[in-house]
Amino acid sequence: MREAGVWIPACAGMTEGAINERVARAIILCMITFKNVTKEYPPKTHALAGVSFRIEAGEFVSITGQSGSGKSTIAKLIFAEEKLTSGHIHIGDWDISNVRHSDIPILRRQIGVVFQDFKLLPKKTAFENVAFALEVAGESNKRIREVVPHVLKIVGLGEKGGRYPRQLSGGEQQRVSIARALVHRPKIIVADEPTGNLDAITAREIIELFTRINDFGTTIVLVTHDRDIVNGLHRRVITLRDGKVASDAEKGKYLLA
Amino acid sequence: MRSFFRIIRFALQSMMRNFWLSFVTVSVFVLTLVTINSVIILNVLANASVKSVEGRVQVTVYFTSDSSEGTVKNVQGYLLGLSQVKEVSYVKAEEALATFQIIHQNDPVILAALDEVNGNPFGQALKIRAYNASDFPFILEALETPEYKPFIKEKNYDNYESALKVLSDFSEKVRLGFLILALFFGFIAVLIVFNTIRVAIYVHREEIGIMKLVGANDWFVRGPFLCESIFYALIATGIMAGIIAATLSFANPYIVAFFQGVDVDLVAYYSANAVPLFGAQFGILAFLGLGTTAFAMRRYLRV
Repeated sequence: MREAGVWIPACAGMTEGAINERVARAIILCMITFKNVTKEYPPKTHALAGVSFRIEAGEFVSITGQSGSGKSTIAKLIFAEEKLTSGHIHIGDWDISNVRHSDIPILRRQIGVVFQDFKLLPKKTAFENVAFALEVAGESNKRIREVVPHVLKIVGLGEKGGRYPRQLSGGEQQRVSIARALVHRPKIIVADEPTGNLDAITAREIIELFTRINDFGTTIVLVTHDRDIVNGLHRRVITLRDGKVASDAEKGKYLLA
Repeated sequence: MRSFFRIIRFALQSMMRNFWLSFVTVSVFVLTLVTINSVIILNVLANASVKSVEGRVQVTVYFTSDSSEGTVKNVQGYLLGLSQVKEVSYVKAEEALATFQIIHQNDPVILAALDEVNGNPFGQALKIRAYNASDFPFILEALETPEYKPFIKEKNYDNYESALKVLSDFSEKVRLGFLILALFFGFIAVLIVFNTIRVAIYVHREEIGIMKLVGANDWFVRGPFLCESIFYALIATGIMAGIIAATLSFANPYIVAFFQGVDVDLVAYYSANAVPLFGAQFGILAFLGLGTTAFAMRRYLRV
C-alpha cells in the first residue's frame, strides 16, 4: 500500500474484538467473487440471472446498465442489503451468500457504502455522521476526534463538520457520505449511483475523489449509468443487460445506446 | 461500556434534537397518567365517603329491665371479641332516660306519657359500631345465642336492615364501577402509549435503516430508542407528580371542606403512598414503552 503522508484508507487498524477470524481473513484477500449469482424478486422478476465475475483487490470497476438491468442489486448483495436466491458471493475468503443476520454488521464495517440519496442521518451533524461509522464499531472517542476531522478534510469539508445535512449542498452531502464510507478504512467501497443526484461538475469532482481513494489501494465498485463518467474513467467496465453480464472489458466504454 | 454510554448519549441527543416529537410523546404520557390519577383520586374519595357513611351507622341493642349490669357487660365483652366490631358503648338505663328527656324536653305530651309510666321504662343498652356496615347482619346474628337471647328486649336491626342493605350494595357497586372505569381507562392508556411510540419509531424508520447500513448491530440501533422510552416515562411521571403536588396543595382544603366530617386527606394519601403509586406508574409506562418500542422497531431492523 502506498503511503502518502496523510491519513489513508487501509485494511489494518480495525478495533480488536469487533472482527471475527473469518472477517480478518477476508480483509487480507479482499477481492470480490460472484459465482453464478441469481436474484429473484417474487413472483417472477429476475434481477440477476447467473452472474459471474471477479474483482481483484485494488481494482476500480464500473458496473453499468440500463435501469432494471440489475446493477444496483449487485451493490445491495455485496453489503447484504439483499439476499441472493442462488449462487455464491465471496468477499476475500468469506462466503457471504448465506451470511447470518448477526454477522451483517461485521461485514458492513469492512465495506464502505455510498448511496445515490446519501443516506445521512438528518439529526446528526456532518462530523457526527462520519463518527457514527466508527462509533458502531466501538472505536474510542479519542481516536474518533483524531480521525474524523482528518477524513472530512480529505473530502474537502474541513470547515463544515458542524453542519447538519440540510445545511449542506448535494455535493457536500455526498462528500460527507464518502467520508463516512472511508473513515473506518475499508478495503472495498461500493458506490451505488453516487452522482445520480448531482450536477455534472460536482459529479466529476466526486468521481475524482473516488479515483484518489482507489490510488491508495482501496477497491472501488462504482454502479452508474452515466456515460460520461464511465467513458472518462478508462477503467474496467462490467455491462449488465437483463440481469446478465453483457460485456466485461478492461479500460471499457459505455456500450449502451 | 463505551457502547452503553454512547447509547445513552444518542438517546438524550435524539430527544433534544427531535424536541417536538419528544414534547408530544411526553404530553401524551402525562395525559395518560392524569386519567389514571383521576380514577385513583375518585376512588379514594368514593371509598372514604362510603366508609364514613358506614361508620356512622350504629345498631342499638336494648336489654330487658331485669338484666343485670354484669350480663350486659358480658355481652359487651363478647361483642368486642368479634373482629367485625369496631366499638361497643354501654348505656345505663338512667342515661337512656336522661337522653330521651333532653331530646323531647319541648314536647309536653311525650313527657306526660313518661310520667304515666311511673318509673324508668328504659333498660340498659349497647351501641354497636362495625367496621363495615355489611357486617351488621352477622353481628346481630351472633347475639342470637341461648345464653344472651332472653335478656335482649329489642335490636333495632329491623329499622336498619333495608338501609344497611342499600348502603352495602351501593358501596360494592361503587367499587365495581371504579374498577371497570380504571380498567377502561387503563386500556385506553395502553393504546395511546402504544400508538404514540409507534408513530415516534415510524418517524425514525429511515434513520434506523441507515444506521444498519453503516454497520450498526441491532442493539446499537435499538438501544437509544429503548432508553428514550424510559426517559419519556421518567419525565412524564415526574411531571405528573408535580401536577398532583401542585393541584392537591391548592385543592385539598376545599376537598376536605366539601366532604365535611369525612376523613379524606388526599395529600396524606399521596405522601404516604408516593413511592408505590408513582413507582407503579413509571413502571407501567416504562414497561409499555420498552415493549412497544421493541415491537415497533422489528420490521425496520430487518435491513
